[in-house]
Amino acid sequence: MSDGEPACLIEMQSISKAFGPSRVLRDVSLRLRPGSVHALMGENGAGKSTLMKILAGVHRCDEGRILKNGKPLHLPSPREALAAGISTVFQELSLLPNLTIAENMFLGRELLMRGGSLDRKRMRAETAAALAELDLKLDPDQLVSTLSIAERQFVEIAHGIKADASVLILDEPTAALNAADVEVLNRSIRRLRAEGRAIVYISHRMDEIFSICDEVTVLKDGQFVGTRAIADVTPDGLIAMMVGRELADLFPARSANLGKPVLELSGFRATPKASAFDLTLHQGEILGLAGLEGQGQQRIMRALIGRHAPAGGTLRLHGQALKFPSAAGGIRAMARRGLGFVPEDRKEEGLMLGLSVAANLVIGLHAEKPAFAPARSLKGVVQRMTDALRIKTASSATPVASLSGGSQQKVLLGRYLAREVKVLVIEEPTRGVDIGAKSEIYTLLRDFAQAGGAVLITSRETVELIGLCDRLAVVHGDTVVVELPAAEATEHSILAAALTAEGVAA
Amino acid sequence: MIQWFKSGFSARRSRQGLWGVPLVIAVALVVILSLGTDQFATRENLFNLIAQAMPLLIAAVGQLFVILVGGLDLSVGSVISFSTAILSLDGPAIVLIPVVFLLAALVGLINGLVITRLNVHPIIATLAMQYVLLGITRILRPVSGGTVPDVVIAAVQGSVLGVPLPLFWGLIAVGLAAKILYGSRFGLHLFGIGGGIAAGMEDAASTYGIRVSRNIVLAYVACALFAALAGVFLAGRIVSGDPNVGLLFELDAITAAAIGGTQLSGGVGSLHGTVLGAIVLALLANGMNLANVSPFIQTAIKGGLLLAIVGLQSRKKMGL
Repeated sequence: MSDGEPACLIEMQSISKAFGPSRVLRDVSLRLRPGSVHALMGENGAGKSTLMKILAGVHRCDEGRILKNGKPLHLPSPREALAAGISTVFQELSLLPNLTIAENMFLGRELLMRGGSLDRKRMRAETAAALAELDLKLDPDQLVSTLSIAERQFVEIAHGIKADASVLILDEPTAALNAADVEVLNRSIRRLRAEGRAIVYISHRMDEIFSICDEVTVLKDGQFVGTRAIADVTPDGLIAMMVGRELADLFPARSANLGKPVLELSGFRATPKASAFDLTLHQGEILGLAGLEGQGQQRIMRALIGRHAPAGGTLRLHGQALKFPSAAGGIRAMARRGLGFVPEDRKEEGLMLGLSVAANLVIGLHAEKPAFAPARSLKGVVQRMTDALRIKTASSATPVASLSGGSQQKVLLGRYLAREVKVLVIEEPTRGVDIGAKSEIYTLLRDFAQAGGAVLITSRETVELIGLCDRLAVVHGDTVVVELPAAEATEHSILAAALTAEGVAA
Repeated sequence: MIQWFKSGFSARRSRQGLWGVPLVIAVALVVILSLGTDQFATRENLFNLIAQAMPLLIAAVGQLFVILVGGLDLSVGSVISFSTAILSLDGPAIVLIPVVFLLAALVGLINGLVITRLNVHPIIATLAMQYVLLGITRILRPVSGGTVPDVVIAAVQGSVLGVPLPLFWGLIAVGLAAKILYGSRFGLHLFGIGGGIAAGMEDAASTYGIRVSRNIVLAYVACALFAALAGVFLAGRIVSGDPNVGLLFELDAITAAAIGGTQLSGGVGSLHGTVLGAIVLALLANGMNLANVSPFIQTAIKGGLLLAIVGLQSRKKMGL
């Protein structure tokens, strides 16, 4: 719009919201124009999702008001938001697993025949058409429980689009999608934009923001930082708005001197077909397994804790030759020797979400004791870890589920730090963690290494591996194809190493 | 059709539960009893069997509504006894019958509201209702007695064109339930709500604009109404009011639903499975009576069967 006073479809004015004592939004405003894609950015916990849930009617704001075309909207529940033409694709998958795609697609707005019974035929046909628009070849009668995560994500998106709403909220719609899928999604978004709808797009992926969005609003700690036209900002500038500092400042300095070998793999073969390799992790070192996704990094990590049985090789821990834990002793044997494992999926495999911060922190200490030994509360340990890790929680009795992603990850790390392990094996140390907490976690890991520990990590974020690690081992086809100092590595050189190796192998 | 039939045995791609299992058991029981006894395949016994099966079948169909949303209704037995007691009061049928259903709807409404508004666990809420209603029933009719309106008796006993009347009760109840569960928004929403609850996403259904609490309340109302229907039927059978006639009925109804493949965590189950579950229980009782098996052993066998069948189907195996 070229005139001085652009028309707003939706205007959220001075929204404030508190959950109990914690204020998650303070005086936040957002203006959505028709025919534009508006990015909403900020660290996890900045209040993006809460703001969108208020617009979707899931939460009610304490103060402020919402206008649609200048008229105030009252949104006590999702029903009213849907009726007002506001449709949401939530970050957490919310499809019902026991319903079919078509049933999910029309849930809450079912098509009825005269006489009031469900018109399944028409719903099926319209679902098939909506799926076809997104290049999906799925049977509308398939139960959602049989779909892959990416397929579910698409169905969820199709559901949001199908609502025929004037405002579409997409909360991290691409979390489970690959690049080709994202392009399909972008095509749909552009079409919706051309139809004059207002779209809110929440994502942590910069390239997406810059390729699809028109405007961006940044939140920080529940407060409004600013709204800019995408053309007027750079990725670095955006990050600076989100955290108040540049990307390079995130990583602590690397360590200078390495100690003796802690963990040694030699002649290791992850699978019968893979070629053998050696890998050594030293005291004071952070070693990263890099490479394309799904090339065997996880298998190598999990062979160390007995969750994957390797095809061959030897393992030495602190100089002592051991059997692989899949063959003898399992993870308990490794834990006794001072190795801690932090799984990628902290909600499913790591934390006990319903239990308190304290219980999650000390469970590792209790696990070392006999089953009927009295469980001391270990208040001192809990206090020490909460302070040392700067875990943001109302009290140590708070259930872990109610913490932010970053704090949850710190609790999980704290469990092993409390046990004073010597080696940490970590998958995705900062998955689903906001930038501020990321930086803190990097510092924690570096301090751990400085104090004589050793860390082995994998990460999908190559930038993180390069910034955090001392040394990188590029994994391809279940084997280490090259090792290089992280200081000299670039995203390009890692990719090149992985892909050249493939050429050699073929 | 074949596809659908297969889904009854491997519930991987359906939310109907393993209803093929009770089907096989029911067929097997019919074959065994027909070949093994002289009395089973007689007209008299089959009429008797149908009349015996029907109240349980109707109550189980009602129970299915609340189990689908992850609930349970333990007040079903008391609603049945209460209904017979009301019908045995002095009064014209035109008044008594509507009163039975109105009061049952009220019971269901209270159950549902206590569960959704006061956040009381369904077992506790409906257990309390069971006691309260049993007490009221015993005040109305301390021991079995009185007579029920002739029209009720006529509608239950006898047959039309060789088809026993109780069969019509079952057909009407099942037809009505099928229309509601599979043909209406309400029915779909019950599946959706239950699926969400079972998957640990209590809020999922409400984000689609579904009125979760209201639907759950209506499920308890439906359950109580079906229980009242079973009560009216039973009153016609025994021709009197009886404070104990519904005793433990709720547990048999839950057993029938569970044998029929309904998951008590919600969102998975089917009408035909539940009907088959009720038929299996009725066949089992009938057959063991014919074979002169002690009623105590019958009860023990029922428990064993329930455990064996439910043990076959874990929710996880179905990926739901």
